[in-house]
Amino acid sequence: MDPITFSIIRHRLYRVIDEAVITLKHVSGSAITNEGHDLMVSLYRADGSLLMGGVGFLHHLTSAAEACKSIIRRFEGRVNEGDVFLTNCPYTAALHTSDVYLVAPIHYDGKLVAWSACFVHVYDIGAMVPGGFSPDSRDIFTEGFSSPGLKLVDQGEMNHDIMDTILNMVRAPEMVALDLSSMIAANNVARERTAALVHKYGPEAVDQACQMLVDQSEESFRERLQELPDGRWESRQYFDIEEETYCVLLAMTKKDDTLHFDFTGSSEQSKYGINCAYWATWGGFFAPLFPLLCYDITWNDGVLRPISMTAPEGTIVNCTRPAPISLATVGAIQSVNNAACTCISKMLSASEKYAKEATAIWHGSHFAIFMFGQNQKGQEAIGIMTETFGGAGGGRSFADGVDVGGEIPNPIGRMANVETTENHFPVRYLFRRATGDSGGPGEYRGGTGLEYAIQQHDAPDGGIHYVISGKGTKFSMSEGLGGGYPGAPCNYRWIHNNEAAAAGKNVNPFAISTDQMTGEQQSVSWGVYPLMDQDVLYVRSDGGGGYGDPLARAPDKLARDVRQGNVSEGVARNVYGVVLDAAGEADVAASEAARAAIRATRLNQEAAE
Amino acid sequence: MEHTKSKNYVVATDVGGTCTDAIVFAPGEPLYLGKALSTPPNFAEGVMNSIRSAADTMGLSFAELFARTSLFVHGSTVVDNTLLTRDGARTGLLTTEGFEDTLLITRGAYGRWGGLSEDGIKHPVATDRAAPLVPGDRIQGLPERVDYKGTVLRALDVEATEKAVRQLVEDKGVKALAVCFLWSFYNPSHEQAVRDVIERVAPGTYVSLSSDIAPVPGEYERTSTTVINAYAGNIAADYLNNLQELITAEGYSGPLLVMQGYGGLLPAKEAASRAVGLIECGPAAGVIGSRYLGQMMDDTDVIAADMGGTTFKVGVIQGGEFDYAREPMVDRFHYVAPKIEVISIGSGGGSIVSLDPRTKVPSVGPRSAGARPGPICYGQGGEEPTLTDVMILVGYMNPENFLGGSITLDIERARSIFKEKIADPLGLGVEEAAIGIFRIAAAQITDLIHEITVERGLDPRDFVLHAFGGSCPLVCGIFGAELNVKRIVIPYTASVNCAFGLVSADIVHEYSVTKTLPVPSSAEEINAIYQPMLAAAKAQLADEGFNKSGTAFEWSIDLRYGRQVHEVTTPVRGETPVSDASLTALVDDFEALYERKFGKGSAYRAAGIEMTMFRLTARGLMKRPEIEKLALGGKDASAAKTGRRRIFVEAAGELVESDIYDFELLTPGNEIIGPAVIHTPITTIVLQDKQTGLLDEFRNMVIHFT
Repeated sequence: MDPITFSIIRHRLYRVIDEAVITLKHVSGSAITNEGHDLMVSLYRADGSLLMGGVGFLHHLTSAAEACKSIIRRFEGRVNEGDVFLTNCPYTAALHTSDVYLVAPIHYDGKLVAWSACFVHVYDIGAMVPGGFSPDSRDIFTEGFSSPGLKLVDQGEMNHDIMDTILNMVRAPEMVALDLSSMIAANNVARERTAALVHKYGPEAVDQACQMLVDQSEESFRERLQELPDGRWESRQYFDIEEETYCVLLAMTKKDDTLHFDFTGSSEQSKYGINCAYWATWGGFFAPLFPLLCYDITWNDGVLRPISMTAPEGTIVNCTRPAPISLATVGAIQSVNNAACTCISKMLSASEKYAKEATAIWHGSHFAIFMFGQNQKGQEAIGIMTETFGGAGGGRSFADGVDVGGEIPNPIGRMANVETTENHFPVRYLFRRATGDSGGPGEYRGGTGLEYAIQQHDAPDGGIHYVISGKGTKFSMSEGLGGGYPGAPCNYRWIHNNEAAAAGKNVNPFAISTDQMTGEQQSVSWGVYPLMDQDVLYVRSDGGGGYGDPLARAPDKLARDVRQGNVSEGVARNVYGVVLDAAGEADVAASEAARAAIRATRLNQEAAE
Repeated sequence: MEHTKSKNYVVATDVGGTCTDAIVFAPGEPLYLGKALSTPPNFAEGVMNSIRSAADTMGLSFAELFARTSLFVHGSTVVDNTLLTRDGARTGLLTTEGFEDTLLITRGAYGRWGGLSEDGIKHPVATDRAAPLVPGDRIQGLPERVDYKGTVLRALDVEATEKAVRQLVEDKGVKALAVCFLWSFYNPSHEQAVRDVIERVAPGTYVSLSSDIAPVPGEYERTSTTVINAYAGNIAADYLNNLQELITAEGYSGPLLVMQGYGGLLPAKEAASRAVGLIECGPAAGVIGSRYLGQMMDDTDVIAADMGGTTFKVGVIQGGEFDYAREPMVDRFHYVAPKIEVISIGSGGGSIVSLDPRTKVPSVGPRSAGARPGPICYGQGGEEPTLTDVMILVGYMNPENFLGGSITLDIERARSIFKEKIADPLGLGVEEAAIGIFRIAAAQITDLIHEITVERGLDPRDFVLHAFGGSCPLVCGIFGAELNVKRIVIPYTASVNCAFGLVSADIVHEYSVTKTLPVPSSAEEINAIYQPMLAAAKAQLADEGFNKSGTAFEWSIDLRYGRQVHEVTTPVRGETPVSDASLTALVDDFEALYERKFGKGSAYRAAGIEMTMFRLTARGLMKRPEIEKLALGGKDASAAKTGRRRIFVEAAGELVESDIYDFELLTPGNEIIGPAVIHTPITTIVLQDKQTGLLDEFRNMVIHFT
């Protein structure tokens, strides 16, 4: 195939995906899709293998490939032009029931030439708890509607029996209908545009270009792996749910031009819905792998070929049906992300050429808070607090992590304005800001996380409820790299208004920081809680991990950090060993002494151990 | 305003990144064009040079020209440049206590990936935010709080305000202050009270209130806009004052009107207080110019494409209207202000052609060789092949007579470097490889225009393509044909199109009120919202000298489906003040517009329809230049034929011996059958096979498909 035509076809395939994503956002009106970019559209070859992945939630690129393949198997001989299939079964391909895949064949001249697939996190799926995240579910049967595959649109005709059955099982069915129509519209656009491309260049040329695209990715990726040193890197990621602690254990082995991910030793599957099924774990390590190792390579099946995985059955990285799974995307999958991010970054750090690509963990917890209840307009409002997408960048070999800088697996997430959330939910923010001292200390500091507090405001029912699936409170999930410290852990508090309490113990409605918050405080991290009357919910997300030894951080950077409120003077002195003078500038002599003292303490500690 | 004196020249100048263009319009005379290099940071110098250049072509002295001028219209990149070079005032920000970081955390990753290409987005480890215009230690939170209804929950603490202002101005040396509180667009009283405090405590400090500058929901974008305005405010004001003084000193006594990013003009005094309105006013003027040219030629649906040295820009006019950008950015900062939608890619004559080091897949841009070192063939030290080098290799440029012979092109050097860096690694011959690269560039442009038309529910087949800029007329024959546009026009004013837009714009004042009302609401309620805006607009225009017949008022309302995030600004086409009938028509128009914009099946009626913003556009109608039509002569263009050369013909897939013409020798009515090349003093027009070029009575080259 000539490189010119190839270049043109490749660019047009990008455009197809981009246009389908825009269509998806246009038709779906929801905040999670439009603000959080919690979506994905990709193109697959006729056999279901990934041809080109769009920029969305990257866990899904590989899972949707599996969704295509499972539809191909299930509907063999029954795949027709204009069909649209649905699957959301985590034991088949999806990550959890709320992420519904719509998969559509693309035909040209009566022949199947490709597939398009997309997903959104639907408004509701009929699980125990509105919105789908169900902390109290103990099996998949209470996690809502789930299908291993059905034909939603048959040769261009909507199968209304199926659509109505789904809508009959969910809350706010009109919003779910909109989510499903948005995905149908996106698939339609992908189909029309791909068919037009095939029409212009001919099926053979396009097929050749697709083959070349996949082969090139494979060659480029293998070449890159060859450039990196062989070795075995390990990461151990803990996370806490209620009284339990879980571990995702990863040993990543790189040999020649192959990479193996071995999760042997990870915790047994949980009674909570934080488990990953096989495809969630598979997608979970690809999510950081694509942007960390393949930033300049087309994300497709060629990248998958040099990779293999071991994930023992019955563990949190490959649970057995009917284990609950509704919180996988904010549960074990994040620890898989984190473990992969650390192992890959360790490998990158071992290469002079690629060390600049290494990063400490970004936003390791990816906690979620879903609100549900009547809003001030009398509507049933369900939705995520988009601060989850605020994130925090990990420190890098050449620069600090980006403060409130997002996360790796969803490169273009963002959070809603305070004014947007206050208009949609009956809540009022007391404050929302970057949290001082939250970024993991390091030569290059981790990015700061967020903190915010909300109270109900004008709720017709006197308040609203939220489901919280918080983790990372007991210890940080945003690990540092190369001697960098972890980011600050998360913190979630329910502040009660205690009417019986003495004056001054009531909630301060204008508290602008935790110091000013009065009332009884209770840690919450798992389950459904009220935000009634004067209750306050306080949330602090984790900071990004630091990179390199904090004692190596340039003192003038700390002077700036302190001036900007990102680091307190105490942490600058005690953790970084930098002492500031009265003018707020680094005192070089005092800092050198402080750093020498910290080094001496470290040596003594090691000796004592 | 009086425009009917006997000597009533209109002078328009547009400051671009590289060049400053001037156009002088004198009734009954041809258009006079002038050009000079831009002179940052003292842009006014380049402005005066460009006018001098136009005056020279008229045989007039500077003073003579100004003595005959009744109107001076201006567009400038001064604000864009201030942001690009980080040259603005030392700025502070006052905001609601507890939300001090809103500007810095940019809604999370939004400010990190905003403005990046797809390649940049896929490489997050290499990305960072732009350093903020206001660092954290110059941001102060003030005790106050207003809720989503505009109700004050906590009164502004005036004492704390005084203290914060003093601290920022006296201790931190701040010269400009931006003020942005939560929900201030519903209740601006706290922001106004802060302004009073600043005027009392720190007089002379430049102040921007978010409720003045961007009274719309969304505190991050509103804050960012207000900060930009404060940061560039004094520079814009000084610049405009300085320009006014310069032209006054040269004997000009009329008004100075300034172009805005939304495509309307404002008197300099008003423009000076709204720096943010000047952002990207050049491309906006380009679209306005295209619209006017379209009107002269009876074309209401136009794709306006401009390709210069570094970028390809395109805007769309449909039914004489244009779209506004939804999430505009300047440099890497978000802002919110009405701005005509113009999208771009890094593809121009100077764009560098490269091969992926791993895969050898060729690409064009987005890196550019710029003016220096420029393309290899310019012989100024360029070592990397550019699109201009490719254009000479496919036979489109005349090596002996480029830009009227001002530069001799070194084709041999271009050929040898292109062979070594591109053709050989691809295993192709030089011509074959150059043709391929040219096709890639054309395909990328096609894809971009596809994005702004087909992806927004517009069919390019209904549109006329206007091709502006030095590079566009070389490529438009290919992408225009692929998009299947009605026809292509290469305007006579192609090289100074933005300046041409300046003389075809109106004075436009935009007013808006943010308020959510259900559909249906009573006509009285809506008219009551408009009354204060109308009164303000009428007073403003009367003040500027417009009588009633010289004004026009356009109402438009933003509507959305309940529980949907997308809003559509829908013009009120029925009578105003509104009646029940015009409101019903408005809702129908909204639904049709929504489906067109967001696709079939996107409408969602179940949760009702809401009105969210009420807009008034008040126009002071300016007299349009009437360009004299020349008489059309015969079709025979043979007198302009200067020779034959091998050029790339797309249908043939190779270089084919074809006719070469000199534009200067053509007369209106001449027809040229492609494939052919026409050299003009400023660009080269390529006619592909099955295309016929006609020089019309305005000296535009109109390309028809046969």
